[in-house]
Amino acid sequence: MSALQRFGRWLAGPIPVSIVLALLIGACFMLIAGVDPLSGYAAMINGSFGSGPGLSNTLQRAIPIIGIGIAIAIAFRAGVLNLGTEGQAGLGALAGGVVAIYVPGPAALIVPLALVTAVVVGAAWGLIAAVLQNLLGVPILLSTLLLNYPARYFSSWVIRFRLDEPTSDLVASEQLRPDVQLSMLVARDSALADTLRSTFGPTSPITAVLTGVNWSIVVLILVVIAVIFMNRRTRYGFESGLSGQNAEFVRYGGVKPGPLVLRTMALSGGLAGLFGVMLTIGAPNTRLIEGYFVQTNYAWTALLVTLLALYRPIGIVIAGLFFAAIMVGSDAMGRELGLSPQIAAVIQALVIILLAFRVTLPHFRRRRGRDVSDEPPLDEPPIDESPLTAAHTPAPAPVDPAAEPKESER
Amino acid sequence: MTFLDVFDQDLLSSVLRSLIPILLAALGGMLAERVGIFNIGLEGMILIGAFCGVAASFFTHNWLVGVIVAMVAGALFSLILGYGSVYRKGDPIVLAIAMNILAVGMTSFLLVAIFDVQGVFQDPGIDGIPTWRIPFLADLPVIGAFFSLTPLGYLALLLVPVLWVVLFRTPLGLRLRGVGERPLAAATMGVDPRRYQLGAVIASGALAGLGGAQLALGNVVQFTENMSAGRGWIAVVAVMLARAHPVGVLGAALLFGFADAIGFRLQSFGLPQQLTDAGPYVVTLLVLILMSKRFRKTREAALA
Repeated sequence: MSALQRFGRWLAGPIPVSIVLALLIGACFMLIAGVDPLSGYAAMINGSFGSGPGLSNTLQRAIPIIGIGIAIAIAFRAGVLNLGTEGQAGLGALAGGVVAIYVPGPAALIVPLALVTAVVVGAAWGLIAAVLQNLLGVPILLSTLLLNYPARYFSSWVIRFRLDEPTSDLVASEQLRPDVQLSMLVARDSALADTLRSTFGPTSPITAVLTGVNWSIVVLILVVIAVIFMNRRTRYGFESGLSGQNAEFVRYGGVKPGPLVLRTMALSGGLAGLFGVMLTIGAPNTRLIEGYFVQTNYAWTALLVTLLALYRPIGIVIAGLFFAAIMVGSDAMGRELGLSPQIAAVIQALVIILLAFRVTLPHFRRRRGRDVSDEPPLDEPPIDESPLTAAHTPAPAPVDPAAEPKESER
Repeated sequence: MTFLDVFDQDLLSSVLRSLIPILLAALGGMLAERVGIFNIGLEGMILIGAFCGVAASFFTHNWLVGVIVAMVAGALFSLILGYGSVYRKGDPIVLAIAMNILAVGMTSFLLVAIFDVQGVFQDPGIDGIPTWRIPFLADLPVIGAFFSLTPLGYLALLLVPVLWVVLFRTPLGLRLRGVGERPLAAATMGVDPRRYQLGAVIASGALAGLGGAQLALGNVVQFTENMSAGRGWIAVVAVMLARAHPVGVLGAALLFGFADAIGFRLQSFGLPQQLTDAGPYVVTLLVLILMSKRFRKTREAALA
C-alpha cells in the first residue's frame, strides 16, 4: 500500500472527518451569531498562525496545554483517571509563584527553587487522591475532581486577601523581579533581538517566535522526550502502560497496584504543577492573578487534547498545537467580529464527541477490495479500536491486541 | 449574632433551595446509573437546561414554557451521550467530559451571540418560576419550608418516592435494573437493552434540564456563565454515594444543601466567600471518605 493511499484512507478516517464536521458545526454557530463563517475562519487562521505574532501566541499557548496534557496522559495511560490537573497546576502555580516573588536571593537559585516547589506542591495535591484511593477506595476520578474546587477557591483567597497589591486594578500579587522570570528565548531588548528584527523584519515568524515564546518551551521539549523514553524504555513505563490496558493482568504479574497509583499521581500532579508555575513566572505573565488559571481553561483543554491524541506524547504535541491554534484564533475572531471566544471550546469538544462517535466516510475501497484478491483485508485505521474505550473503562473492554499497533509508543 | 444563629428559621428553606437542582440532576443520574451508563455529563446538562430555560422564558415571558424548553433541551443534549455510548459504543466518560466542555462553550457563545451580553444575562422580561405557598401548612414552624417551594421543588421531592416505586415495584423498573445488571439476561427475555439505556439517558437529561431550570429560573432569575459551577459533579457523587438508590440520593443532596446553606450563612460572620464556597466540595469529599468502606467492600466483592 503506497503512502499516498494510506494517507487517503487516513483522511477518510475518524480524525479528519471529525475535525471537518466540527468546523462545519462551528460555522453553524457563527451563522446563528450573524457572522459569515468564511470571514470568521479567515480571522481565526490569520490570528493563529497566519502571522508571526499569531504563530508565537499559538506556540506560547500550546506549552501549558501540551504539558498538562502529558501529565494527564501519564495518569490515563496507567488507568488512573486524574481529572484534577486544574487543582494540581493551579496550586503549583500559586506556591511556585509565591517562592519566586517573595523569597530573596540570586535568580539562579530562586528559579529552580520555584520550579521544584511547584512540582512538589502539585505532586502532593495529586497524592492526596492516590492515598485516598489506596487506603479507603475513594475513586480517583471523583476525588481529583472535587479537590479542584478547594484548590481554586484557596488560590483565589490567598491572592485576594494575602497577596493583593493595591496599586494595580487587577486582583493580583506584586510583580516578579525581571531576573526571576523565564524570559523569552531571545530577550526582547537584547542586541540579538535587534539583529533579528533588522534581518528578518519585526513581524516575521522567526523574529516573532524567538522573541515571543519563553523558555518554558525548552522545558516542554525535554519533558516530552523524557516521557517518550519513560514509556518505551523504563520498567515504570512498561508497567503503567500494561496496567492501563489490563489492571488484573499486571496484578498477576506481581506489580502492586497501590505504589503504581502513588507514583503515577505524584508524577502526573508534579508535571501539572511544573507547567502551572511556568505560566506565572514565564514572561509575559509576571504576577499571580486571581482566577487566571481557571479562566484560561488550560486543564480542561489539555484533557480534550489527551483524549484526542489517545495518550501518545507526539499526538499530544500535534493535538495541543491544533487546539491552541483554535483558542488563539478564536480570541482573534472574538476581537475582530465581537463574538465570544468560547467558540473554541465548542469546536474542540465537538471534535472529541464526533471522534467518540467514530464518524468516518463510507469505505468505498473496501467494497472494491473484495474483488481484488491479492489485497489483504483492509484493517480499520488504527484509531478505530479506540483505546479511549480500552484504557479506562472499568469493565474489560474487548480490545483486539492486534488492532493496536505501536504499543511501544503509548 | 452568635454562631447558633446560623441555625435559624430560614435555614431549612435555603437548604431546600440549594438542594433541589442537585436532587433533580442526581435522580436523573441515578436512572442512567441503573441501566449501566455512568453519566458524568450532568454538569453540562444542567447548564444547557438553565440557558435554554432562561432564553425561552425571556422570549415568551412564560415560566412554564421556560421549564418545558429546559427539560426538552436537556433531553436533546443527553442524546449525545445516549446515542454515542449505546449505539456507537463510545466511552461514556469521554463523551460526558466533552459534553460538559461543549455546554460551557455553547452557552457562553450563544449568550453573546443572541443576547449580546457577557457573563450575566438579567432582564425583567425573564419570567421566574413562582413559589407556590400551600396555605396553613407553609406557616408551620420549621417544616413550613417544605410547603413553600417552586413547582419544580415539589416535583423533585415527589419524584423520590415515585422513582422508588417505579424502580423497585413495577415491571418497568425491573427491566431497567435488569438491563443495567444483566443486559444479556434482559435481552433473552425480549427486552432490547439499548432502547432502555437510551431512554434512561434521555430521562436523566430531562431531569438535569429541570434542575437547570430551577437553578436559573427558580433560585435566581438570570443566567450566569458556567452557573452550574460543580453542582453536576456533586450530583454524580450523590449517585455514587447512594449507590443509585432514590432515598440515598435525597440524603446525599440534602447534605450538600446543608453545606451550601451553612457556608452562605457563615459569610455574615466575616468568613470570606472564597472559603465558604469551597465548603460543599470539601464536605462532599469528606463524606466520600467516610462512606468509602462501602466502595471498598464492593470492590473486594467484585474482585473475589
